[in-house]
Amino acid sequence: MLMHEVLVVGGGLAGLMAALVASQKADVAVLSKIYPTRSHSGAAQGGFNAALGEDDSIEDHIFDTVKGSDYLGDQDAIEVLCSEGPEVILELERMGVPWTRTPEGRVAQRSLGGAGFPRACFAADFSGHVVLHTLFEQVLRRGIKIYPEWHLVELLVEDGQVAGVLAYDLARARLEVIRSKAVILATGGYGRAFAKTTNAHANTGDGMAIAYRAGAILSDMEFVQFHPTTLYGTNILISEAARGEGGYLRNCHGERFMVHYAPQKMELAPRDVVSRAIFKEIKEGRGFEGQYVHLDLTHLGEALVAERLPQVRDLAIRYAGVDPASAPMPIEPAQHYSMGGVRTDVWGMTSLPGLLAAGEVANVSVHGANRLGGNSLLETVVFGRRAGHRAAQLARQEPWPTLSAATITRAYESWSSLLAGRGQGVQEDSTFAIRQEMTNLMTNQVGVFRVGSELEDAVNRLAKLKERYQKLKPPGGVQPFNYALMDYLEVGYLLDLCEIIARGALRRTESRGAHYRLDYPQRDDQNWLCHTFVRRGEDRPEFSNGPVKITRYAPQERGY
Amino acid sequence: MNVVLNICRFNPEVDVKPYFQEFTVLVEEHNTVLDALLQAWQQDPGLSFRRSCRSAICGSCALCINGRPGLACQTLIRNAITEDGRITLEPLPHFRQLKDLVVDLDPFFESLKAVVPWVVIRDNHDGRMTPEVARKLESPATCILCGVCHAAMDDPGEVKPAALVKGLRLALDPRDVLGAARLQLMKVPRDILRLFIKNLPEKCPKGITVPEDVCHV
Repeated sequence: MLMHEVLVVGGGLAGLMAALVASQKADVAVLSKIYPTRSHSGAAQGGFNAALGEDDSIEDHIFDTVKGSDYLGDQDAIEVLCSEGPEVILELERMGVPWTRTPEGRVAQRSLGGAGFPRACFAADFSGHVVLHTLFEQVLRRGIKIYPEWHLVELLVEDGQVAGVLAYDLARARLEVIRSKAVILATGGYGRAFAKTTNAHANTGDGMAIAYRAGAILSDMEFVQFHPTTLYGTNILISEAARGEGGYLRNCHGERFMVHYAPQKMELAPRDVVSRAIFKEIKEGRGFEGQYVHLDLTHLGEALVAERLPQVRDLAIRYAGVDPASAPMPIEPAQHYSMGGVRTDVWGMTSLPGLLAAGEVANVSVHGANRLGGNSLLETVVFGRRAGHRAAQLARQEPWPTLSAATITRAYESWSSLLAGRGQGVQEDSTFAIRQEMTNLMTNQVGVFRVGSELEDAVNRLAKLKERYQKLKPPGGVQPFNYALMDYLEVGYLLDLCEIIARGALRRTESRGAHYRLDYPQRDDQNWLCHTFVRRGEDRPEFSNGPVKITRYAPQERGY
Repeated sequence: MNVVLNICRFNPEVDVKPYFQEFTVLVEEHNTVLDALLQAWQQDPGLSFRRSCRSAICGSCALCINGRPGLACQTLIRNAITEDGRITLEPLPHFRQLKDLVVDLDPFFESLKAVVPWVVIRDNHDGRMTPEVARKLESPATCILCGVCHAAMDDPGEVKPAALVKGLRLALDPRDVLGAARLQLMKVPRDILRLFIKNLPEKCPKGITVPEDVCHV
């Protein structure tokens, strides 16, 4: 049996940061379903917010984030995020991140949406990529054990304490138990619950669903962020940096329509505001072919596009056949980020002893109802660091938790039938069909604009999809790289999460941040200035309300 | 349009040696080879291939397309399809085939370690770097470790090309205390390094360029 004092699940920015910090005091391993350098963190383009500039302040960053969150962010957590930002950037600098520089040689910063200042530290539009690779270099330096292409399948809980995991080694087609004193989940989001998403194929919400099944509390799952600018058709991300560098949004009349929605911030209003504006333009007949609007960079000049947005340019040329230096790009909003996740405190501790979480899988609630660009990358490193620190502390203080043979046997037995099964092959239904219906349903009925009747219908239809799913024969068969088996498991995770998202959205009868109800268009602080907590019940999720931590900033109307 | 994917199959549990299997899939010509592969997967869920980001930043879907190593997500059908409407897909050469299009990446990642693949930070570094130097690091820092270079080049030595790119990028970094000593670490003669730098952009799916003057460091 394998043993590591701290086991990090997920090899993206939050996971690698947690592993690095924990490894200073404990034996750590990283388990990841893809090689760490291939994590979705690497696709992040824009930058890391940190109040480094002389005219900027941590206070301003805190306020922008609180306001951006539509007052649903926990202000104590936001204070931690913004206060630790500058020192984490310095730490990354000393690890070797190749930031873009100012003429004075300092780390350059750019504007992203919802910020009062050019606050995002960046490396061209490869910001996530270069930091991910730099952290990976440090993981190699420390000799941290990596289990690549291992899938977490179950958290092993004994007497209410997480005592290890059951994992599936894809290459060797076998189950393994890894005992640990602390498990840190850093498995990212669930973007693939939606048909239109910027997310990688790997983003199937595994960690959230597995934690939920093990009894952890999830929170604020109804808050799903839609990125305003993704390439029409493929939904490949076009960074907010494209607007940060001065890009315009135009409707089919060539008009910069943001003037009607956010006259002060224009294109740099927060993502929820911009996404709704784009949809409204399209819906009211001012889109192109009734489908998309334009993101216009042509006035910026080829040199700036080439220097600051090289990846955006490549992507647009390749996937949309448009060179943004000379022609506007066709764009539409698509699912991008999960504000909700496994509920944690500011040290990454979840409601389940022995389980921590950081990054997009977690909900420490710094983003509240809507995340500002540049804050998620910052969140990964700030809270990954804190989770790593706390997990190492636990490893020092706590004895090895009990993990009985009975627990291990039960887990092995329930999963090994999946491995040995021979369900693969022709059957009437398939994970592909269920996935397609599920993702279309989520995009069409649980998207940017929501309405009670459609949400209710979505809940019912998701229940039917779940019934169909339960009748599928698992595509087992002991063979290496059985991606069909993984796909089967992932669709199961997504169905759990979709149900929670849709039910949560139906339950919250107000509009706040990214959650917009056509039948309840106003924010309702009287009834809904609260978090949504959800835990697994007998046969369905059980919801409750939790308090929002408000320290300095009383809720006020959110104008841009 | 219909495209025939001619895919190299191999399951070590049952097959003695690799063989080819044809899949006819319906795709648009502006779709990618990855889109086509996903269609083939629906026909046979037992088909194994890696993929994740579908936007050429994770490197997972590296494979051999009509004999040429590349990224499936970055290659459009219209650029890959032959006159008879076929595309041949094989695992990356120079890597051990594990199943179908999946290859053993461990030696590739392992070889990074040969070049001390991290900045050995100078004690007195003040946290600043000129924009000119930062720009030099930029292109080699976009390496996604997909392995296409290793598959596309004759191995220039013990150290694999991606590790060389990493080593060269670090040799250019003013924060790094090893600097020129990194060129010795790579165990590659300078004239061969120069040739490598010259050939890299056309082999690399990210078109990575390394300034040749790194050899004078």
